[in-house]
Amino acid sequence: MFEKVLIANRGEIALRVIRTCRELGLRTVAVHSEVDADALHTRLADEAICIGPADPTRSYLHIPAIIAAAEITGADAVHPGYGFLSENPEFAETCAQCGLEFIGPLPEQMRRWGDKVSARALAKSLGLPTIEGTELVEDVEDAVKKAEALGFPVLLKASGGGGGRGMHILQSKEELRAIFETARAESRAAFGNDALYFETFVERPRHIEFQILGDKHGNIQVLGERECSIQRRHQKILEEAPSVALSDEARSDMSATIRRAMGEAGYISAGTLEFLLDDRGELTFLEMNPRIQVEHPVTELVMGVDLVAEQIRIADGQELALPERALSPRGHAIECRINAEDPDTFAPSPGTITELHMAGGTGVRVDSGVYGGGRVPPNYDPLVAKLIVHAPTRAQAIAKMRRALSETLIGGIRTNIPLHQRILAHPAFEEGRFSTRFLDELQA
Amino acid sequence: MKLDLDQLRELIRLLDESNLTEIEVEQDDDRIRVRRDPAPVAVVSQAVAPTAVVGSTHASGAPAPEDDDGNYLTSPFVGTFYRAPSPESDSFVEVGDSITPGQVLCIVEAMKLMNEIESEVAGTIVEILVENGKPVEYGDRLFRIETT
Repeated sequence: MFEKVLIANRGEIALRVIRTCRELGLRTVAVHSEVDADALHTRLADEAICIGPADPTRSYLHIPAIIAAAEITGADAVHPGYGFLSENPEFAETCAQCGLEFIGPLPEQMRRWGDKVSARALAKSLGLPTIEGTELVEDVEDAVKKAEALGFPVLLKASGGGGGRGMHILQSKEELRAIFETARAESRAAFGNDALYFETFVERPRHIEFQILGDKHGNIQVLGERECSIQRRHQKILEEAPSVALSDEARSDMSATIRRAMGEAGYISAGTLEFLLDDRGELTFLEMNPRIQVEHPVTELVMGVDLVAEQIRIADGQELALPERALSPRGHAIECRINAEDPDTFAPSPGTITELHMAGGTGVRVDSGVYGGGRVPPNYDPLVAKLIVHAPTRAQAIAKMRRALSETLIGGIRTNIPLHQRILAHPAFEEGRFSTRFLDELQA
Repeated sequence: MKLDLDQLRELIRLLDESNLTEIEVEQDDDRIRVRRDPAPVAVVSQAVAPTAVVGSTHASGAPAPEDDDGNYLTSPFVGTFYRAPSPESDSFVEVGDSITPGQVLCIVEAMKLMNEIESEVAGTIVEILVENGKPVEYGDRLFRIETT
């Protein structure tokens, strides 16, 4: 086993990794930018190295600085967290070349799953039910031809996009002609890549994702699903496990399919397969995220696992301890992402946290990267804390989350806690009747 | 001031398509300025290639704000600090030496790449703050310099 892990990230996920490392007896190295000199991950790691200025391209995304920090501290493994360099195959390769164990999938697996069009083709060849889509389009005439073959309405997507950015719903070829060049220019500006393609547009889907773990011995474990339909502009803000929309039979069928497919693919480490669930109950594969996800704690609570510890054991070459029967979820878990933003306008609200009281009590977990008196810098994403609850039933989990949110006090910055309370109190949410359109309709 | 999002988007696109680093528009009492950080210096992209076993690049120290007790050259990289080009060589500078802008004062090694760190100012070395061979972080003070 390696002895010292460098965490190439910041905020709550850096702290999340530090916690597991400490429990496993591993020493930790935090890296931080100048504005994060007093951040919690910087303070709680065994060692901390300043790697650059606030601009992430010169610090958290700057591969040579992170490698140099590992060199001067003698770290022998790197955990990338999520975001930043977590899905960057060059980073994983550089780590390997420098003798550092990268705690994540192989670089070629990131490449294979990172490109959306090739990932869909790969999933299909592995026997996963896959959303209908096209190859990359060449020009506007080719786009019209491909869209008509697929059938309107269609979703125009940017190959380099992600997190829901660069998507357009199109009802007709006239709409397509009108927007095509703009969409291409947007994609080029936002992702440095103007490759576009189409997918079938599903009217009111749910977003369901399955958590998997794969070891270096060819074993795959599927750890059930997460329901992530509560999104704002395609950004998830509240997640739960299990999903009310999936029967035990549907869950175990899809788990078996995924286990077979990903076993064939030889996937290593933690990963998430994202699906759309349509109103006929059909799951179709969208994409695969080769990393730990923000919302992983809901799976940890209902499945009784520590996914970061599993990632570390897998990187160390240990075999997954597979249970005799497929795991099934115990109870219900909900996560609320608490963002530093105005609950009405969603404008970012960075600043100094003047007072902080996080919720507690039975069945409440807090994953946070902030503290009272600490700063939320304007340079990074607005996630300040994740509040996660676990209870025997969904109704009890909702009641527990409402209670936990009500005792969470964060002063000095604005947060989206009032929005979470509105969602949790909504009859459609309580009854489990919702799609990815829920928040748009709530605010309309 | 009233912020027109479309205007702002247009400015960002203009900036993106150009080689400019900054655009400023002034109209009546309103002023909008969009700027991007300058592209990373060459050394950054060179250093990405770990196959370069020993290379040599030049960089200036990170901006060193002057404070009460003088001017500092700070480390622009995280890495290992060396006062000489090789273990057998003399140090680049000693306390009391006069220095000129562009003169190499030390090396910070990161990923087997020897980054020569140059002075931005003319002056005299007053103090050397890091021991040869020790690790340094981004922004660590390396030399105190009395400017002339």
